[in-house]
Amino acid sequence: MLFEILEVYARPDFPEKLREHVVLSLAALLVAIAIALPVALLIRNTPLGAAIAINIGNVGRAVPSLAILALALPLFGIGFGSALVALTALAIPPILINASTGLREVSKDIIDAARGMGLSGGQILARIQLPIAAPVIFAGIRTSAVQTVASATLATFIGGGGLGDLIVEGYSSRGPEILLAGAIAVAILAIITEVGFGALERAFTPKGLKIAQKRGR
Amino acid sequence: MSNPVLLLLQDVLEEPQLIDWEWIRENFTEDIVPAFQGHIFLSFVSVAIALVIALPIGVISARYRKVYPPVTAVTGVLYSIPSLALFAILISIPGVKIGPSPVIIALVAYSLLILIRNTVAGIDSVPPETIDAARGMGLTNRQILFRVELPLALPIIVAGVRIATVTIIGIATIGAYINGGGLGALIFDGINRQFPTMIITGAVLATALAITADLLLLGLERYLRPWARRT
Amino acid sequence: MIEFRQVSKTYPGSDNPVVNDLSFEVLEGEICVLVGPSGCGKTTTMRMVNRLIEITEGQILIDGEPNSDLSGTQLRRKIGYAIQQIGLFPHRTIADNIGTVPNLLGWDKGRIKDRVNELLGLVGLSPDEYRDRYPAELSGGQQQRVGVARALAADPPIMLMDEPFGAVDPITRERLQDEFLRIQEDIKKTIVFVTHDIDEAIKMGDKIAILKQGGVLAQYDTPENILSRPDSEFVSSFVGADRVLKRLSLTRVAEMDLEPANGGTDRLPHISEGVTVKDALSELIGSGHTRAVVEQEGEDRLLTFEAIEALTGGASSGGEISA
Repeated sequence: MLFEILEVYARPDFPEKLREHVVLSLAALLVAIAIALPVALLIRNTPLGAAIAINIGNVGRAVPSLAILALALPLFGIGFGSALVALTALAIPPILINASTGLREVSKDIIDAARGMGLSGGQILARIQLPIAAPVIFAGIRTSAVQTVASATLATFIGGGGLGDLIVEGYSSRGPEILLAGAIAVAILAIITEVGFGALERAFTPKGLKIAQKRGR
Repeated sequence: MSNPVLLLLQDVLEEPQLIDWEWIRENFTEDIVPAFQGHIFLSFVSVAIALVIALPIGVISARYRKVYPPVTAVTGVLYSIPSLALFAILISIPGVKIGPSPVIIALVAYSLLILIRNTVAGIDSVPPETIDAARGMGLTNRQILFRVELPLALPIIVAGVRIATVTIIGIATIGAYINGGGLGALIFDGINRQFPTMIITGAVLATALAITADLLLLGLERYLRPWARRT
Repeated sequence: MIEFRQVSKTYPGSDNPVVNDLSFEVLEGEICVLVGPSGCGKTTTMRMVNRLIEITEGQILIDGEPNSDLSGTQLRRKIGYAIQQIGLFPHRTIADNIGTVPNLLGWDKGRIKDRVNELLGLVGLSPDEYRDRYPAELSGGQQQRVGVARALAADPPIMLMDEPFGAVDPITRERLQDEFLRIQEDIKKTIVFVTHDIDEAIKMGDKIAILKQGGVLAQYDTPENILSRPDSEFVSSFVGADRVLKRLSLTRVAEMDLEPANGGTDRLPHISEGVTVKDALSELIGSGHTRAVVEQEGEDRLLTFEAIEALTGGASSGGEISA
């Protein structure tokens, strides 16, 4: 069985599927970041805006991925573009929630001290709020990334391509080696994403905050 | 000067091709209700089984901390694997037939991480002084667990149940692909037959179910914790 | 140097002002303590100096110029700011924290580095040891010192301090107070200091402004005058029934004019001239004697109850106390 699985990876269309999957996930993630981060920044000082963002985020988190992808079908048709729209919509909530909460949870005393010392609003955002909120924001991006890679597997159902194609092919044509090859490839990709973004999150946590975390302050 | 988004929405809702209300009326009891019931069944059973497994493991992990990191690692890996892939791997195991069983196994596997983690966090949140007082009053370890720790840990555990339930409802939709039943069946059928009404019915109902469960459990969580939790 | 001219603050939607028609002046080089019960507007008043809160009526003049002339940000870079919760930036080193304002003002790196080292030494923290640490590694007392150093960094003529020693235990607080007074002897900044603790106010202040509920000025005077001649029922009860004893804490035994001992001092307790008269009185009572020996200028002198009594005099006589 192992040999048959490896043969699937040697297929000429495998790199293609892998590439599709990665590109789809990455594109959705980047667009989601490009939308969610600025929104979180804009509403950081308004309690109402923050409440709305959190609620949209929570609702978004509850919606089943397959539902969104399936709804994209009658609205946008089949194919890569349609899948991209759906995946982007799915990728936004974790980033929005984390960015919004992270920024708002920077201690008010620290911001007061910064303001009192004469930092302008923009300087406070760039030098104080963003660096301190960075770990939480990156945790949100990491969650979103792993989720997106998983959801991209489902893109196959609306013609979006990706490694899901292999799973579907294996399932419908009773080719267990294709089925497993696809499944294992997706699983490994997801785990790599989790570990990779975890490392990224640690890299972007300022040293002073790591020390504070260790000391429970 | 109508809002273009509203116009689009109007179009979408009234498009005879998109939502065939006739079909919905005709097939309500035959297709839609069974799918709905099947979905609730899958979700409920999975959450229940997951709790039965996760609570004891959580309690043990809270007591014997060395166990916790490997437990988190294993359940974390399970959580990372995309659902369709996990289904595929499960049905590749000889003896596992397609249908609700592998779906339930996978759903249980997914929710273990969050349930165990929240159980541990909940138990950790009990102030040591409270446990000390209980011990001082003469309660046995078992009594402390059931009468003091678990009740106080309840809000955090319920928070975990909430997230797990919502996740399970979502992933259960995919289980329909391997004949697990549920609302996903409507979605997949709709895709195969190119019949948008079924897709939309399945998708909207699944979403509504997930959101309702989320709100109900959020209400329970708030009720258990009157000092209100920020998200 | 800092002049409050009929300053009032009322929040929109509220009928009652939180600061009501305040007029007084803080002289250059003096510590002016704002003290009062909670709700008296002392913190609000302080924060109007650097315009973290904007005035509704009246004016605050700094060196004769209204403080609204500059933009808020520019103004604050010229005023030192230290708060109770300190607010150190957890993600920056101690050196970066202290150097924040000099950095904003465009000082060059070498100058900032020297200044940071100088300030760390000033507040009693070894520069080599603490420069590159992070706030989470420091104790509460150490963090509070860094907070003061940070406020002093750009050498501003004016400092605003809101319960800057509030977040530590009483023993550490007393040490910090003493050290800060010592530093102030050298640097002579103009300081507006907020506290709810009348004892801290008496200890730290060259002048005290007692505020009532609703931000009304009850009395503005030296600690000595407030203690010996309280203006109103409110002030005398706020100051406390032990105000006579509090007055004694303002003077050291060394400043007293004592009679020579002339022998017969074997059994008598010895009291150092460096302690406050209040502490000396306490020692004297505790010793069970009515007199004690104090060494002043190499000579043995006698400290008696009568001598202490003469200090306090009546409310109208000022006694022999120097301000």
